[in-house]
Amino acid sequence: MQPVLTIDLSTGAVGEFVIPVEWERHFLGGASLAARMLYDHLTPELDPLSPEAPLLFLNGPLSGTSGPVTGRFVVCALSPATGLWGESNCGGFWAPELRKAGYDGVWITGRSDQPVYIWIHDGEVALRSAKDHWGLDTYTTQEKIAAELNAGKPSIACIGPAGEAQIPMALILCDHGRVAGRTGMGAVMGAKNLKAVAVKGTQPIPLHDPQTYTAIRSAANRALRQDTLSQSVREMGSAAASDYFDYLGSMPKRGFTRGLMEGVEVISGATIAETILVGITACHACVIACGRVVALEDGKKRKGPEYETLVGFGPILWLLDAAVATRMGELCDRYGMDAISASNTISFAITLFELGIITLADTGGLALAWGDAAVVEELVHLMGKNQGFGSQLAQGARALGRRYGSEERAVQVNGLEVANHDPRGLSGMALVYATSPRGACHNQSDYFMVEIGSADDALGMQYFSRQEGAAKAANVAIHQDWRTIFNALVVCFFGNVPPQTIVDLINPACGLDWTIQDMLLAGERAWNLKRAINNRLGLTRANDKLPQPLLEPLPDGGAAGFVVDFDAMLDAYYTARSWDPQSGYPTRDKLISLDLGWVADDLWPQT
Amino acid sequence: MAGIFPSVEWVTSFKDRLNNDEQYARIAKNWEGDLMFDIQPGGVLTEAVQIYLDLWHGKCRDAYIIDDQHAPEKEAAFVLKAPFPNFARVLQGDLHPMQAMLTRKLDVKGNMPYMMRNVPTVLDFVRCAQDNTNALLGE
Repeated sequence: MQPVLTIDLSTGAVGEFVIPVEWERHFLGGASLAARMLYDHLTPELDPLSPEAPLLFLNGPLSGTSGPVTGRFVVCALSPATGLWGESNCGGFWAPELRKAGYDGVWITGRSDQPVYIWIHDGEVALRSAKDHWGLDTYTTQEKIAAELNAGKPSIACIGPAGEAQIPMALILCDHGRVAGRTGMGAVMGAKNLKAVAVKGTQPIPLHDPQTYTAIRSAANRALRQDTLSQSVREMGSAAASDYFDYLGSMPKRGFTRGLMEGVEVISGATIAETILVGITACHACVIACGRVVALEDGKKRKGPEYETLVGFGPILWLLDAAVATRMGELCDRYGMDAISASNTISFAITLFELGIITLADTGGLALAWGDAAVVEELVHLMGKNQGFGSQLAQGARALGRRYGSEERAVQVNGLEVANHDPRGLSGMALVYATSPRGACHNQSDYFMVEIGSADDALGMQYFSRQEGAAKAANVAIHQDWRTIFNALVVCFFGNVPPQTIVDLINPACGLDWTIQDMLLAGERAWNLKRAINNRLGLTRANDKLPQPLLEPLPDGGAAGFVVDFDAMLDAYYTARSWDPQSGYPTRDKLISLDLGWVADDLWPQT
Repeated sequence: MAGIFPSVEWVTSFKDRLNNDEQYARIAKNWEGDLMFDIQPGGVLTEAVQIYLDLWHGKCRDAYIIDDQHAPEKEAAFVLKAPFPNFARVLQGDLHPMQAMLTRKLDVKGNMPYMMRNVPTVLDFVRCAQDNTNALLGE
């Protein structure tokens, strides 16, 4: 990989960091390599919003290579949302532009005394004033900076007012509404007075064996284009399977308390395709094009909602209007705020209001109720502006629960709000949420796709019943390892590319001679490294849990009456992972077997 | 007797089964769309076989193996295409139909929004096909 640009915003000092070859061989790139680079810096004493806290943008070895779904980069730091490992990846065109500019990452420390943005252009780096852009929403920020730079079509990763206010659910957005949404990476940018990172490059992207790579990626793209899942996602977006998830009882509703909602079929990729869809968008060289372009009553073309936003600002809030979800999603994007965390936290506030724990005196006179789109819109504005009752919600569900003595009712794990895949319908998600290194996340493993059939035997995976218990624990671990590789490369989960094809792409791209097993081992290595980072930050087995609402049976729907046998599942998972059941640490032997002996010495110091 | 899959006897029996299965009739009561199995050579099957099924409101109105004498007037609304061994694994219950689709072992063409809205119908259709399968070519 190319060097990582280092920038100290306090001093303006700019340098380069050359990634050691051994690190690339062990971690490939992306989030895995970021964990290696950040390992020594993420200490319990570090304030994630301090100048000392590093913020790392990183590509993977396939980023920008026109291979299947390879247009992504990742942003990593100590998370202000969780206090643990922070990681969020993003599509669009930023990753390829950075590669073409001669870098594969940007390591940012310090804090500028005035708002700035970074401009990276073919090896040239400049810090430019963002005083005129501070306070602007994310789309307007991109327009203004692009006009100011007048340099063709740069890609601009930026924050909105939520990031400026350093709220823990602040995101980073680039291009046509592509976001690094989770774990509050936008707040870390805001804390550095950094409004945006704009990139533009024209240089060729380095590959070890470009001729071989090009032939394989062309064939892989053709196959991916014809794939049934690709065609479904192209046609219906990420909400393609929403009807099925609803049928299985995995689409959460009314604050994760209901399994049925009359008329919920309007909350689907199919309905959007048949009603408001007017176009599709794609990230760099993507043959799928999951992005939705919709037109509402005003006729204006705008980004349409993906599954998480559609459900988050839909059934979770007892709303059934794709237009409302579209508008709320756009508001979240413009403020620069994660739609999953925002909608989940609003639903929790409504729950507490319904219970009388939150009152009109707390909300500034807003009566919170299920299915009230106007109140939801008002709350989103207040959160994005960090004002009034919104400033309480903006801290996330865990903080809201703590404030009102109801933390156990918040549907979150370790400070990250649960994504919209209910483990009562698809039980593997219980382990995914409980053990993810970044909280209740669906992007360290989209095991819900395995539950509905995407169990690839080439990875040694099996197909289990959707509500099976401990028997599927090892299967979950394999899938987490595999998706850790996706997040290292950094490629999109929607790419239904055969595992062997991915190996066949990596080898000529990186000069490797790997097998699928080598890949899984590298995934397991990084999974355990992220775990070790969190262990050093204070995470133990006690953190591996599900929130109470998910351990209560639903009254109706496809998962009615079912609760996962979580303790048995977690025991089996620990066995599969070779993690110490008392501490929750990877065992010393496991770490050594993964070439992480240097980590073992930290977690298990020898006397 | 259902006959060997794929055969004229299997198709005839499958049509009867679909038309006499109460559960299928209930779940598929709103289904509108004909379907074709495009069984590609593989394993013991040396030449492609195509089976046409006209499915309408929980019933099978017509079913036959496509040949010179029998062919639909237009392409079926849905086409399920896979090599014979993959069809065989699905019919034997060794491969879940959704797993087959999501792991690239079964191509599905047609109105995907309609298909995704009606996954329960599709899965019950597969159940009937499995119940109708006593023997496979080559067994």
